[in-house]
Amino acid sequence: MSGTPLDKIRNIGITAHIDAGKTTTTERILYYTGVSHKIGEVHDGNTTTDYMDQERERGITITSAAVTCEWQGTRINIIDTPGHIDFNIEVNRSLRVLDGAIFIIEGVAGVQPQSETNWRLADRYNVPRIIFINKLDRTGGNFFRAFDTLKEKLDIVALPLQLPIGEEEKFRGVVDLVEMKAIIWEGGELGAKYHDEPIPAELAEQAAEYRQTLLDTAVSVDEKAMEEYFEKGDVSVATLKACIKKGTISGEFRPVLCGTAFKNKGVQPLLDAVVDYLPSPIDVPGIAVALDEGVDETLHPDRRRIPANPKAPFAGLAFKIINDKYGTLTFVRVYAGTLKSGDTVMNTTKGHRERIGRMFQMHADKRAEIKEVEAGDIAAFVGLKDTGTGDTLASSDDPVVLERMAFPVPVIDISVEPRTKEAVEKMTLGLQKLAGEDPSLRLRTDQETGQTILSGMGELHLEIIIDRLRREYGVDCNIGAPQVAYRETISKAHTETYTHKKQTGGSGQYAEVKINFEPMERNGGVVFENKVVGGSIPKEYIPAVEKGIRVQADTGVLAGFPTVDFKYTLLDGKYHDVDSSALAFEIAAKACFRDGMKKASPIILEPIMDVEVTTPQDHVGDVVGDLNRRRGQIQNQESSGSTIIVRALVPLKEMFGYISHLRSMTKGRASFTMQFHHYDPVPRNIADEIMAKSA
Amino acid sequence: MSGSRLHWKRGRQEEGAGVSPRTLEWVGYNNAGEPIARVVRVQGPLSLGWRSFRAMARDETASVVELRPGCPPDGAGWLACVGPRVVGRAGQPLQAVRAVEATLDDE
Repeated sequence: MSGTPLDKIRNIGITAHIDAGKTTTTERILYYTGVSHKIGEVHDGNTTTDYMDQERERGITITSAAVTCEWQGTRINIIDTPGHIDFNIEVNRSLRVLDGAIFIIEGVAGVQPQSETNWRLADRYNVPRIIFINKLDRTGGNFFRAFDTLKEKLDIVALPLQLPIGEEEKFRGVVDLVEMKAIIWEGGELGAKYHDEPIPAELAEQAAEYRQTLLDTAVSVDEKAMEEYFEKGDVSVATLKACIKKGTISGEFRPVLCGTAFKNKGVQPLLDAVVDYLPSPIDVPGIAVALDEGVDETLHPDRRRIPANPKAPFAGLAFKIINDKYGTLTFVRVYAGTLKSGDTVMNTTKGHRERIGRMFQMHADKRAEIKEVEAGDIAAFVGLKDTGTGDTLASSDDPVVLERMAFPVPVIDISVEPRTKEAVEKMTLGLQKLAGEDPSLRLRTDQETGQTILSGMGELHLEIIIDRLRREYGVDCNIGAPQVAYRETISKAHTETYTHKKQTGGSGQYAEVKINFEPMERNGGVVFENKVVGGSIPKEYIPAVEKGIRVQADTGVLAGFPTVDFKYTLLDGKYHDVDSSALAFEIAAKACFRDGMKKASPIILEPIMDVEVTTPQDHVGDVVGDLNRRRGQIQNQESSGSTIIVRALVPLKEMFGYISHLRSMTKGRASFTMQFHHYDPVPRNIADEIMAKSA
Repeated sequence: MSGSRLHWKRGRQEEGAGVSPRTLEWVGYNNAGEPIARVVRVQGPLSLGWRSFRAMARDETASVVELRPGCPPDGAGWLACVGPRVVGRAGQPLQAVRAVEATLDDE
């Protein structure tokens, strides 16, 4: 992969709301760049990046796929990401390692809920973006209305670089406001043929007005360009492009292009824009080095960054794991240095060494072996033994730990059990591998029932996992009904002392612990502090206390749900020279947890979802009334043309089966999306129900 | 800016801001070389306790400002000044330049 100068590399993602046309656009990009010789279609199930069986059958993207192409002498590594909220982890980890993104919005609906979520994710990682307003050939497709939603919903300075020529089925090209020309697609040859011509007279005035806005906004980001502008009354195309690139990278504005990928119009200028305006690895500040856990990053604005430099010590981030028939593939974004197959690096997150086996450049599910990777590359490594998503691989000469990745909290549980006893081992192995690939999937065993519990981001997410288990690992499972992933926590501090004593003949057991339990803020996790002094508990037994609490915390005292957001401090204890052991301290800690938590006012937490229902005006009353009955809190109502968008916070428990109810209530005319918002305490009566069920 | 009646040059620059200090104002000169207009960067907003204030110019060089709560109606960060008058505000300096020149055209 080496050999391409860093300024000729673009690592970009394509992200959007579900069905906005990400995969369709990617297919055109691969066709026009000569990577593929035919255009695959989502509805035909033959696209390059949707290679999994489930993706092809369902017509949705489930896993992000990496492909590489070349345009204008620049190598573009593209990651096509899923749009469905259940697979948000894929968008999250892709944005984390990309230098830029194409953000697609639909020309009919404009910015939709998932667009907003992904936009905020890209904000979190400071990813420069260009916006592509797609589907302008559709009935109701309107560039200007979709453009307005960018400002309204994303609160950004959106800067049109193009205007559409023709509307809906008459859409035939774009006005290029940078070079002030029209680009017209000729039809046939799948959109590969297009030509430039003068701007149509009827659009000349509008184009001049938008060009003025473009100049005012773009040139203002560069004072030298402003001087050129004042001196000559205009700027060269090269200067204007440099200004657009500068403003795009700094985020002062977001360039907007348009077209219809499905009808093969607008994709080539989009590729030009990727090359001209999105950054290469050396155009962005290097990746930041991680701060210690709990340290406020706003207090360290000048923390160390690793610039892209092939000659520096190696540093890379593992951002995705895939298990296939050939073994485990670890996708790594290389930030600095050069690495050859056979080299050894440090996994600085976990503190051990890893030997790099073979390395591949991935093209969706196909792979080409490479011998070397260097700064700026994205590659897949085979042979890493214990490297997970988010781990840093670095040279021992400079063993940095790169900024960590944040993962979403799973909100839905299902129980799974194999149909035959013989398949237990296969199922466990398969689930462990799938959980290793997907950090938004959690696996645990219910200590009381012995059942395997899978926790994920939504019903679709878990359905796909079970399907993959069947197809890829040959395990048929019985699954329980989806359950809300409740959590337990405490609402006041309490100190508990527990003595575990069994000293009746033979080797005895003795351990005493005094532990303070105190509540923490939401998402605070579980924090341990050891305040034992004077050796009242020998050091070698402290990890056993910690382990005891962590294991017991998986089964809360109220209804058996994992206990979260609390701190436990080991204050004191006693031991016996002969009868104390790690096991005795673990048992004591578990019992101390059970007794202590009951006295610390435990409560049950439930996931609250951000629900957005799009409904025709005449059904608003029904929808709002129904959401209220579901314990929803209406946040706002907005009208968008003839439809109303109702936004509400609703407990997940009340949303199971909502889609079929909504359809029957509105005769199939309303739709909804939802995503996790926060955890809240459940009302007393519901808590009683939950506890009664678990008893 | 063909047809521009003014020659615009950098005015005051930010001090102590590193290698490439930002320009705080652009000054418009007439053909006789006299400065007759300027566009001035409005710094801020200023946060005092829980409230946020924006500066509003009270004189031609924006050396006297009044702090007003919230954003100005246009949310803009540049003042367009012709002689002693503030004739507009804009989000970008070039838009402010245009506001100045439109005012001069009208006169």
